[in-house]
Amino acid sequence: MASHCQVRVYAPDESVAREWSDAAIAEVRRIESKYSRYQDDSVTTAINSAAGGAAIPVDAETAALLDFAAALHAQSEGLFDLTSGVLRGAWDFKAQRVPSQEAIDKLLTHVGWSKVTWLAPTLRLDAGMEIDFGGIGKEYAADRAATLLMDLGARHGLVNLGGDVRIIGPHADGNAWKIAVQDPRGNPGATIAHLEVSHGAMATSGDYERYFESDGRRYSHLLDPRTGWPVEFWRSVSVVAPIAIAAGACATVAMLTPVDRALKFLDAQGVRYLAVDSAGQRHSK
Amino acid sequence: MKTGSILAAAMALPGMLPSAHAQVTVPNATLIQFKYLYYRDYQDSGNRITVKSPALYLLAPISESWVFEIGAVYDNITGASPYYHTVLSGASGEGVEDKRAAGDITVTKYFGRTAISARAAYSTEDDYKSVAGGLTLRHATPSQNTTFTLGAGYSSDKISPADGPVFTRTKTTVDGIVGITQVLSKNDTAQVNLYYAQQRGYLTDPYKALFGVDQRPDKRDQMAALIRWNHYFEGLKASLRTSYRFYHDDWEINAHTGTIEWAQELPYGFTLTPSVRYTSQSAAFFYYDPVYDAALGPPFPPGYLNNPNGFYTSDQRLSAFGGITPGIKVAKSFVGGWSIDAKAEYYEQRADWRVGGEGSPGLQDFKAQLYQVGVSKKF
Amino acid sequence: MKQFASVFTCAGALALSVALVGCSTVQPWQKGNLAKSEMSFDHDPLQTRFEEHTYFSKEGASGGMSVGGGGCGCN
Repeated sequence: MASHCQVRVYAPDESVAREWSDAAIAEVRRIESKYSRYQDDSVTTAINSAAGGAAIPVDAETAALLDFAAALHAQSEGLFDLTSGVLRGAWDFKAQRVPSQEAIDKLLTHVGWSKVTWLAPTLRLDAGMEIDFGGIGKEYAADRAATLLMDLGARHGLVNLGGDVRIIGPHADGNAWKIAVQDPRGNPGATIAHLEVSHGAMATSGDYERYFESDGRRYSHLLDPRTGWPVEFWRSVSVVAPIAIAAGACATVAMLTPVDRALKFLDAQGVRYLAVDSAGQRHSK
Repeated sequence: MKTGSILAAAMALPGMLPSAHAQVTVPNATLIQFKYLYYRDYQDSGNRITVKSPALYLLAPISESWVFEIGAVYDNITGASPYYHTVLSGASGEGVEDKRAAGDITVTKYFGRTAISARAAYSTEDDYKSVAGGLTLRHATPSQNTTFTLGAGYSSDKISPADGPVFTRTKTTVDGIVGITQVLSKNDTAQVNLYYAQQRGYLTDPYKALFGVDQRPDKRDQMAALIRWNHYFEGLKASLRTSYRFYHDDWEINAHTGTIEWAQELPYGFTLTPSVRYTSQSAAFFYYDPVYDAALGPPFPPGYLNNPNGFYTSDQRLSAFGGITPGIKVAKSFVGGWSIDAKAEYYEQRADWRVGGEGSPGLQDFKAQLYQVGVSKKF
Repeated sequence: MKQFASVFTCAGALALSVALVGCSTVQPWQKGNLAKSEMSFDHDPLQTRFEEHTYFSKEGASGGMSVGGGGCGCN
């Protein structure tokens, strides 16, 4: 994981703290390797290499993640899509060039969860398609690591993987964690608010994470999988929910939805949020 | 926070919530427990029974849906029980030296929120062997806030007394239980169980029959209603456990039993749990007081010769009394899943302590001390 | 038999009320305190076995927690 990750836990003594944090970090690394696009022996690589061929069997954990992705795709009307990764091919953030509609259309033929044949326990992708767990991997790992710590007996602490946070419990004195919300137009580390969270998780989606500007417009990495183009409804959406993967999914979907509908969506999901729209206006609950 | 559709989908993923959030779920750890009991009962005129029992318990999840449990206990019993009422054999209470070994295995299979357990148990001692089995079904609602329990059991016992006339008799018991366990709040959980049992066969105590007059019916229908409630005091970091059981059988024994335990979390992994139990029972309809037939003398009840085949017992356990058990337990848990505990209890039965005060007269107060020390490891 | 009927109704009513009160749903992430071993109904299996066995041997009343326990000649 390229971003800054930390495990903070209150433990009876240092040896316990070490034992616990080692276990949590091991779990995070396990998930990272298992679903990494870059590792030859990962599940993701196995699935993508078999694209266009026969259906391949997946294990119980992967099956559960695929079921989650399928449910999210349906609930978000296609905004949440594990197959949108191939669009990376059109959007080169280093080159800072806006692609042609033609280039996007070509890649769009390989995007769409509805084109995936997922019938547990086997999965089949058409040729040219790719699955990418990157959108949910960090949140999933934060949840797994935190739950592992809770089962080991930890009652106070948190797991923070690059800004996706799952809380084990409040500070040992009972005070809530104050989690900073990055200013979407400020320098890294500049915050616009702190959310007080004692239990649950917080995840943020922002247009500042990877982007380039061209002709006065910002093109961020958050693409609508149905069009292949980035959207500009929000600068950032931070969601607080009981589970990190849920918070992350809500933030991702809200980011790709126009302001009014996004707020209705977040309210329907029953989550807390702090969102900054494209005009810099804050919306929170 | 209400449960939105995305959160509901997330909860279906494995390992998103600590395993202890669910009532019916495969345990995530193996547990081995060893405990030793020292028990001694006595009355003013002398010592009665002393029991020393080591016991072992193992709980092991074998796979994602199978759990295996084993229990074993070995009782070393010395001393003497009263012949009749509270009359002991000799001055020093010598008499019995007995050993009992018992073991049981339980296998549980989990199907999501439903668990089925099959249990087999065996107990053997010089003069008593018992084989028993039970099947229990537990099912939790999707929220895991409510669990329904249904169980049925069967046991077949063989009684062959070592003293007196040689005979072998049998006793069979069929029992059933139905219950609900309910999470009431983030700090409250409660359970209600209804229990029913039918015993058929030789229900008499052969030693009391030998030395006293003990003739019991060959059937006994029993029922019990149990309510338990646990409440957690967040500010005090303590759990209050309470229970009440009402018992009734067709020997006309009615009993009320209540327990209160306060488990106080202390620094450094210590837990201190004072407890008290109170029970009050009526006598069996065929229990007779220590007033004996004018002609025959003890142990014969008055008018025995008029009805020599009637039901009679002088067994203190079937008399009317109230019993109180104060106790205290200390436990310490260590890093790595180890914990040790020690508990001391004092138990006394007195006729006066029965609710309403009308217990069976003429008996010496039954007294007992119980000490337990244990160690356990979770991994 | 009258005893049976009245006790059954009492227990049934209680069970129902317990279930109804439980309609205020507690979410999984709120069950941290309930997860403590001291809050479970069977936190010390061997202690429960010893105590149940003792009271079974010394009193006229028993039962309510489990089935198929088997007997013994204890007195």
